[in-house]
Amino acid sequence: MPDEHSQTTMAVDELQAIIQRCQILEEADFKGEDFNLFLVAGQKCLEDGYAAQLLEVIQNEKNKVIIKNMGWNLISPLVRCIFTYKEEDDKREHCLRILDQLAQLCNPKELFLGLLEQIEQTSGDQVCQTVMLLLQPLQTVLLKLQNKKAYSVGLSLAMIMNQLTPLPVPYTKQQIQEDKLGLCQCCNAVVDFAKPFVNEVVKNMEKSSEYHDMELKEELLKFCMKSLKYPLLTAQLEQLEGIEEHPFRHFATEIINILWNIRELIPLVFLHHKGKSPPWENQEFADIERKNSADSVACLSYLMFVQHFGIECFPVVFSPSYLLLCNMTHIEVLLKRTEESMLSKGLDLFESSLLRMEDNSLLHDYLEFRDFINVPQDLVKIMTLCPMEHLRKKSLSILQLFIDKFDTEGKYTLFRCLLKTSNHAGVEGYIIKNIKDQIHLSLTEYDNVWFTGHHLISLLDLVLSLPEGAETDLLQNSDRIMASLNLLRYLVIKDCESDNQTGVWTTLTKIEQNFLKPLRVGLNMSKAHYEAEIKNKKENRKEAHSSNTVCSVTVSGEKMPAMTTGMQLQVLHSALFTFDLIESVLARVEELIEVKIKAVMDENS
Amino acid sequence: MPWVQCLCQETMTTDEATKTEGEVQAVALTERGEDITPAQDRGVLKIIKRPGSEDESPMIGDKVYVHYKGKLANGKKFDSSRDRNEPFVFSLGKGQVIKAWDIGVATMKKGEICYLLCKPDYAYGSAGSAPKIPANATLFFEVELLDFKGEDLFEDGGIIRRIKRKGEGYSNPNEGATVEIHLEGFCGGSRFDCKDVKFIVGEGEDHDIPIGIDKALEKMQRGEHCILYLSPRYGFGEAGKPKYGIQANAELVYEVTLKSFEKAKESWEMDTKEKLEQAAVVKEKGTMYFKEGKYLQAVIQYGKIVSWLEMEYGLSEKESKASDSFLLAAFLNLAMCYLKLREYTKAVECCDKALGLDQDNEKGLYRRGEARLLMNEFELAKCDFQKVLEVNPQNKAAKSQISVCQKKTKEHNDRDRRIYANMFTKFAERDAKEAASKTGVERVAEKAACEKGLKTPGAEDEEAEGHV
Repeated sequence: MPDEHSQTTMAVDELQAIIQRCQILEEADFKGEDFNLFLVAGQKCLEDGYAAQLLEVIQNEKNKVIIKNMGWNLISPLVRCIFTYKEEDDKREHCLRILDQLAQLCNPKELFLGLLEQIEQTSGDQVCQTVMLLLQPLQTVLLKLQNKKAYSVGLSLAMIMNQLTPLPVPYTKQQIQEDKLGLCQCCNAVVDFAKPFVNEVVKNMEKSSEYHDMELKEELLKFCMKSLKYPLLTAQLEQLEGIEEHPFRHFATEIINILWNIRELIPLVFLHHKGKSPPWENQEFADIERKNSADSVACLSYLMFVQHFGIECFPVVFSPSYLLLCNMTHIEVLLKRTEESMLSKGLDLFESSLLRMEDNSLLHDYLEFRDFINVPQDLVKIMTLCPMEHLRKKSLSILQLFIDKFDTEGKYTLFRCLLKTSNHAGVEGYIIKNIKDQIHLSLTEYDNVWFTGHHLISLLDLVLSLPEGAETDLLQNSDRIMASLNLLRYLVIKDCESDNQTGVWTTLTKIEQNFLKPLRVGLNMSKAHYEAEIKNKKENRKEAHSSNTVCSVTVSGEKMPAMTTGMQLQVLHSALFTFDLIESVLARVEELIEVKIKAVMDENS
Repeated sequence: MPWVQCLCQETMTTDEATKTEGEVQAVALTERGEDITPAQDRGVLKIIKRPGSEDESPMIGDKVYVHYKGKLANGKKFDSSRDRNEPFVFSLGKGQVIKAWDIGVATMKKGEICYLLCKPDYAYGSAGSAPKIPANATLFFEVELLDFKGEDLFEDGGIIRRIKRKGEGYSNPNEGATVEIHLEGFCGGSRFDCKDVKFIVGEGEDHDIPIGIDKALEKMQRGEHCILYLSPRYGFGEAGKPKYGIQANAELVYEVTLKSFEKAKESWEMDTKEKLEQAAVVKEKGTMYFKEGKYLQAVIQYGKIVSWLEMEYGLSEKESKASDSFLLAAFLNLAMCYLKLREYTKAVECCDKALGLDQDNEKGLYRRGEARLLMNEFELAKCDFQKVLEVNPQNKAAKSQISVCQKKTKEHNDRDRRIYANMFTKFAERDAKEAASKTGVERVAEKAACEKGLKTPGAEDEEAEGHV
């Protein structure tokens, strides 16, 4: 292959030529064109596969000054080259050694910028590969930097994290194991990269607390905050069977260790809501910063209280209600999201905070904090609107847990609030069932003022009523109406008119007026309407057998298959069945009331 | 009590002995500990290991600094502030810590070391505290009270609160709330005021009550009884209070009980009509305070107009006109107040907003000029005064201000030239760094590629311009 050989010699010769010319020059006399020639020649060597020769040139002691000044130029072609070779290729090995040599020999300031430029320019599938390739030399260079080290470390970490952030975070077990883009591996490599700098901060903190130490510490803190938001907030952090070292759990542990070592862990968890935000001139920046750190701190709290990372450093004297109060802010942040990873973290954090408390131990005063009213409303939103069933179920069970923790006055206030705000008959029915349970407790176990007497009556006003009188859509509200009727039935059976502990007998006329009467009217109207409709449909079917698709239903923008008349009839019948059910309970309640009143009247006469 | 000393010596011994020592302590506590629970149910037992150096105990709400060590009944240590190398800090009596601690630490004196034995009801109860505290655990603590201090309400040292009796619930009076309080005022140890009074938060001045009390009330709860230490800024300030014989810049101490309060309506609870009506009232009120030189109080009144009307949408044309005129007046007057209070940045902000409503407003331009002049932004100030002249060529004050600006600019330049002569190199370096953070690596890389050691000329120019 004479042709190829001559080309090679050309490339190497050119390099040798420029090297020889520069060897005799003083450092200060290198000119722009020398840099250029060196770059072109070096690049050609690499492209033509003569990495070994290039390595020799670089290692040559005589060329030290040249490499120190010009070597950083080669980073870009070098990285390009490395990715073209296969893992086991000797040439790749040579290239890697060149990279290593450059990290040792080059002027750190310039090499630093060269490396960072490479990281900045990579994108897509290559991000993790590039970052992992360059982390080691970058670390070497940063450790050698004399000036602006903290700033440079911060810039590197920020750049790396920014490049990683657009990548999708593996979520399922399979995705994590596969780690297609190398994100899991890369994150942990980045933590290792940061370690020497953490150690430096720790060492400095032990000595004194001077200004420039603060700078490096702040940069590391920023990195941790960023990591908490991405990838950790989006990652699946539950232990997974069959994965011994869960990469994100490992990453999380390391991040928390850094925070602990730089003594920022406890302040972050506890002092956050006192507004220790950096002074931004621009209000918009300040808001963004606050929002970002709210996400990060929420994730941190999840890691500590749910996954128990770093909990060994955590003071064990805080009261559970105070912990709930602190976490409530974070829970609210997480429950406002719609992504499964964040919602489930929010729910887990809420659950674990509540499980630390004893039943009935949360004072009603806490409801004066806005979060304590907002968060249950968020729960209701999740349980009624979230498309993921397991989250809907979980939020319902947590709502019950939340109710259970409050003292009776708290439960009372919470019920009132939820009845007024939920706008969902199912939830209202659920709350009404809870009210019934509380009344039962106060009648059978211990007396309390909130679920008997005048407080209860004012609550019953809310429960035993129809939102729009006789015109209320009974079908839509059937859950609520059934629960209300059951509650009323319970009251008239359990509480004798002579005792009237609950006060229900005193307010019976009002209940009759606001609830029973309009309900009866409403039932008659609805039944008549639906029966007429059924009759109509049946006649229509006979008449126009051909066009039996009359109505269409749209669910979240997608058209559902059209309903046939047969299906429509089925729906109408099931509505009638619901009305019958309501009617039968209503009749039973009325009968009970009548019997009891009659009994009392007989007694009196 | 010789056995206490014996315990002291024991704690000095090696870790080996800790477990047995722990048992000894627990036994001693059970046998001899004092029951410090209000219910006297032996839920928290205490033994003083080392008496305090001073007689004072912390009060509710105080920021308390302690070192502690906690163990389970089996002697297993579950927590220690010393392992973390820093004292544990919390607010006393606010339910931040387990009940046993709120009760126990409140009984301690400064410098005291004590042992506390806490029944589960006063600790983590049947729920425990995962992962360290099992259900129904009795906890043992050694606590050292290092220090405590009153709560610094605004974190500026201006108002220190110490609570004698805790209030109920968590809600506080807001600005504009009607409060009924009892107060006693002291200065230099003698009482100058004592009264029951009902007033509106923000208008205490009408009853010779300093602004600090208004501010503190917004952090108090119903029924709370506290002592407030006011710095002059939050007291009667430079003017003093001749009526009470109080000199300029006097430190004041108040004892206040918040008997009851009724919250003022929040902005979202009011309709436009109500807001406009009230705006007229508070504007009047603000002007009255302003004339009396009570600028802080005036700011509160004018501020209400802004909070009610600035974000009000869906107004009719007539309402909108009225609203704008209130807002304009409020911003202009706020700017004036802030000038008097020497808060120039805020003054500029208010002028900006006033000029946003009426871009040629003479007062707005003039006051912004004044504020900028006082902030040493001579060029900008000069622009403002020139604009004043464009609007009203007769404005003599503006004319003379322009010459002031020119004179100051020159003085400033001369001084700068001397001071900064040698500092350009430094600035240039800092600029380079900032430039790097802004435009990313490329620019820096370029720079580094071309030159080493040489400062970029661009940066130097910029810096110089800034000081002309």
